[in-house]
Amino acid sequence: MNALRTILPVDFTVGVILVTGLMSIGGCDSTVKQFPSNRVHALVVETSRDVPTDAAMADVEQVVTAWFGTPEKPTWPSEWIELPAARQLVDLDRLQRASGRVYSDKQNRHFGLYTEHCVTCHGLAGGGDGPASLLQNPYPRDFRAGVFKWKSTDRSAKPTREDVSKLLVRGVPGTGMPSFLRVDSDDREALVDYVIYLAVRGEFERKLLDDAIDELGYEDTRPEDDASLTSLVGLSSRNDEAASVPVALTVAQDRLNQIVDAWVMAPEQVIPVPDETGFDALSVERGRDLFHAVEGGIVNCAGCHGPNGDATVATVDFDDWTKEFTTRLAISPEDKAAVKPFRSAGALRPRQIFPRKLSDGVYRGGGQGETLYRRVVAGIAGTPMPAAPVAESSSQDTKTLSPQQVWDIVHFVQTLGGVPVRGDALKSAVEDAESVEKGESR
Amino acid sequence: MAGDLVKSNEISDSGQTTSVDRTSIVWLHRLTVLSVCLVWPLIWVGGLVTTYDAGMAVPDWPGTYGYNLFLYPVTTWLFGPFDLFIEHGHRLLGAVVGFVSIAIVIAAFRQERRRWVVGLSVAILLAVISQGALGGVRVLLSDRTIAMIHGCFGPVVFVMCCLAAAVTGPRWVGRVYREGAWPRTRALGWGVVLVGCAAVLFSYTQLALGAQIRHVQPWTTPRMFTALVATHITSAFVLWGLTLVLWLLVRRCGDMTLSRPSGWLIWFVGVQILLGTGTWIVNYGWPTVLAFLPVGEGFLVQSKGFIDSIIVTAHVAFGSLILATSAVVLLQVFRQRYLAKAIDSGVRQLDSSDKELSVGSSDRISSTQDPVVASN
Repeated sequence: MNALRTILPVDFTVGVILVTGLMSIGGCDSTVKQFPSNRVHALVVETSRDVPTDAAMADVEQVVTAWFGTPEKPTWPSEWIELPAARQLVDLDRLQRASGRVYSDKQNRHFGLYTEHCVTCHGLAGGGDGPASLLQNPYPRDFRAGVFKWKSTDRSAKPTREDVSKLLVRGVPGTGMPSFLRVDSDDREALVDYVIYLAVRGEFERKLLDDAIDELGYEDTRPEDDASLTSLVGLSSRNDEAASVPVALTVAQDRLNQIVDAWVMAPEQVIPVPDETGFDALSVERGRDLFHAVEGGIVNCAGCHGPNGDATVATVDFDDWTKEFTTRLAISPEDKAAVKPFRSAGALRPRQIFPRKLSDGVYRGGGQGETLYRRVVAGIAGTPMPAAPVAESSSQDTKTLSPQQVWDIVHFVQTLGGVPVRGDALKSAVEDAESVEKGESR
Repeated sequence: MAGDLVKSNEISDSGQTTSVDRTSIVWLHRLTVLSVCLVWPLIWVGGLVTTYDAGMAVPDWPGTYGYNLFLYPVTTWLFGPFDLFIEHGHRLLGAVVGFVSIAIVIAAFRQERRRWVVGLSVAILLAVISQGALGGVRVLLSDRTIAMIHGCFGPVVFVMCCLAAAVTGPRWVGRVYREGAWPRTRALGWGVVLVGCAAVLFSYTQLALGAQIRHVQPWTTPRMFTALVATHITSAFVLWGLTLVLWLLVRRCGDMTLSRPSGWLIWFVGVQILLGTGTWIVNYGWPTVLAFLPVGEGFLVQSKGFIDSIIVTAHVAFGSLILATSAVVLLQVFRQRYLAKAIDSGVRQLDSSDKELSVGSSDRISSTQDPVVASN
C-alpha cells in the first residue's frame, strides 16, 4: 500500500525526531552532584553592599558542601555543633532516605522521598524555585530564609518539629501544598528531617555569605590566611586541637550554632494559649468591634481583610521573600528592568500578596481556635500580617489586647467562616430537644 | 456482480486486483484486536506505575527480586506492597502482550498474503520487544529520562496494534469506494490528508510534552516548565480545533469507518482537556485562571489519593487513545483516497480501450445498491 509506505517512514522519522528531542531537552538522568547556589541572595548582597560576591560565594559553596554534603549524599555537620540536642536535630539515616533517586524496597520503604514528593515545587535546595514554582500561587516556600509561616511559635522563632509534621499531614488548603496523610508516617518523618536540613543548610549559606563580606573581608579576592573560608574545607575538629583556630572557622561555627540552636529552642518558644473563653454572641460582638477597630481600637483587621473579612480593601504589598530583592533594595517590584538581574539569577516574578478573604472560611494555616489565636498573637512570619500587641496578664489597657479579646477576635473570625456560635448551637439544640419532647408527649 | 462473495477486492500497489480471503485472516484479526485490548490496559497500568512512583519498586530485570518473572510467588505479588503489585503486574501484562505479538507474527506468516501486513506484524513484535527492553533499561539504570522515552514509546506500540487491527478487519478488506453514498458526497483531497497528518503529529507532540511535564527533572528551570505547560495547553486546543476540522472534512465521505472515529476524536480531545485540567488540579492545586469557580476555594491537594491517581493515569491513557484514533482515521483517509484513485484509473483504462462495459455501472456502487465489490 502506498499509504503505509508513506505513513510508516513518516511515523518513524517523527518518532526519531521526538525521541532525540526528548533526550536533548530532558538530558541524561545523571546524578545531581551539587545543590544549586543561592545566586539571588548573592546578588542582593552585592547590590546592598556594593561589593562583588563571586569569590565569597565560591568559597561559601565549598564550605557548605563540605559540611552539608550533596543531594545524593547529605551530611550533618555534627562535629561543628556544640549542643548535643542540635547534633541530633536531624537523623542522618532519614536524610539519606529522603534524598537522591526514587525507589522502594520489598518492605515498601520509599527512598528519594524529597525527590518524589517535594522537589518539583520546592526545588533541589528548598529554594521554592522548583520547575513548577512559577505556576503556583502562592509560590512554594523558600526554606533557605529559615522563615516559616505556619507554626505554633513566636513570629521570629523557628517552627517546632511537630509544626512541620502537622503541616505535612494537614497540607495547605487553597495552595499547591498537598496533604501527605496517606504517606507512611516514617516517610513523613524523613521529610521533616530533610526540610529542617535544607532550611539550616540554606540559612547557613545565606548568612555565611553575609559574614564573608561583612566580617571576613571578602571583596574582589578572598582574604589572606585564616580569614579565608577555603581553610575550612577538609578541616576536622579532630585535627590538631592545639593549633590556632582560623577566624573563618570561628565565624562559620558561630553562625551554624546560632541557626541550629534556634531550631532546638523552638519548643520553648511555643505561644501559650489560655483557656478559650465563651464562644457566645457577646464574644462575637466584641470581636466584631475589635476587628473593625471601632472607636480607634488596638488592632484594625478590617483595614486589610475588609469589612467582615470580605477582602474588598485594595492593598499593595509583597511577602518578605519578594521584598528581599525589591523594596529592601529600593527597587520597585513593578520595575521590570531593575528586577531583571534578580530574575535571571533565579528569583521568581514579584507577585503581590493579598490578605485572606476570611468570609470564605479557608484558613491556610489551620482553622482551629488555638491556631487562630496564635495567628492573631504572632501574625504570619514573612508576610505583612502583623503580630497583635497582647498583654501577658489579663490587665486591660488601651494599647494591648487581653487574651480574652484575642479569643473574641478569633470567635468573630470563625463565625465569618461559617462556624456557628456555640451558645446559639447549644440554645438551638435545647430548643430542638424540647420540641421533640413536646411532640412525644402529644 | 458477485455481491455475496467471501472474497473481497484488494487492489495491489501495482494497480492490479488481488483477492484477500477474509476467512483466512480472521485469526490474525482476532489476535490484533486482542493486542489492542491488552496494550491499552497495559498503558493504564504503566501510567499508574509512574503516578505512584513505583517504577523502581522492583530493582532487577528481567526477573523480579531474583525470581523468574513468571515464578514470582503469587501471594507475595498480590498481597505485598502496592508498588510491587503494580510494577510486577505491569511486567506480567507486558509479557502477555509479547506472547500475543509472537502469535500475531505466526498468524500473519501463515494466513496473510499482503506482505506489508506481515511486515507490520513483525514491526509490532519488534516494537513490543524494544518497549520491554526500554522498561528494563529504565529499571537497571534507574533513569527517569529512559522512563520518559518508555512512556512515549508505549503509545506508538498501541498505534501499531490499532493499525494492524484496522487493516486486518472485515471493514478494511470488504470495503468499497461508495461514490454518491450521500447526495453531497465529497472526495477526500490533500487537505484532509494534511489535517489528518497534523492531528497525528499534534497528538504525539502532546504525548511527548505531557511526558516531559510528568517526568520533569529537578533541575528544569521554572521558565522551561512553564513554557512546556503553556505549549501543552495551547496544543491541546489546536488539536481540538484540528479534530473538528477533520470531522467536517470527512463526515460526508461515504464511509462510516472514517467519519465515525473522526467524530469520536472531538469528544476524546474534549474529555482529555477536562482530564488534563483535573490532572493539574490534583497535582498542583486549583489554578488561578479557574479562581472564578467557587468550588476551587480551599481545595486541598491529596498526595497519593486514589481518585487523583486515576484522573492522572486516565489523562495518560486517553492521550494514547487519541493518538491511536487519529492514526486510524489518517490510515482510513489514505485508504479511501487510494480506492478512489484506483477506481478512477480503472475508469480511464476502460475508457481508453473503448470497452462497452461502463465502469460506472459495474464497479462503482451507488447508494441505492448493496455494498458489494467486484471480483477478479
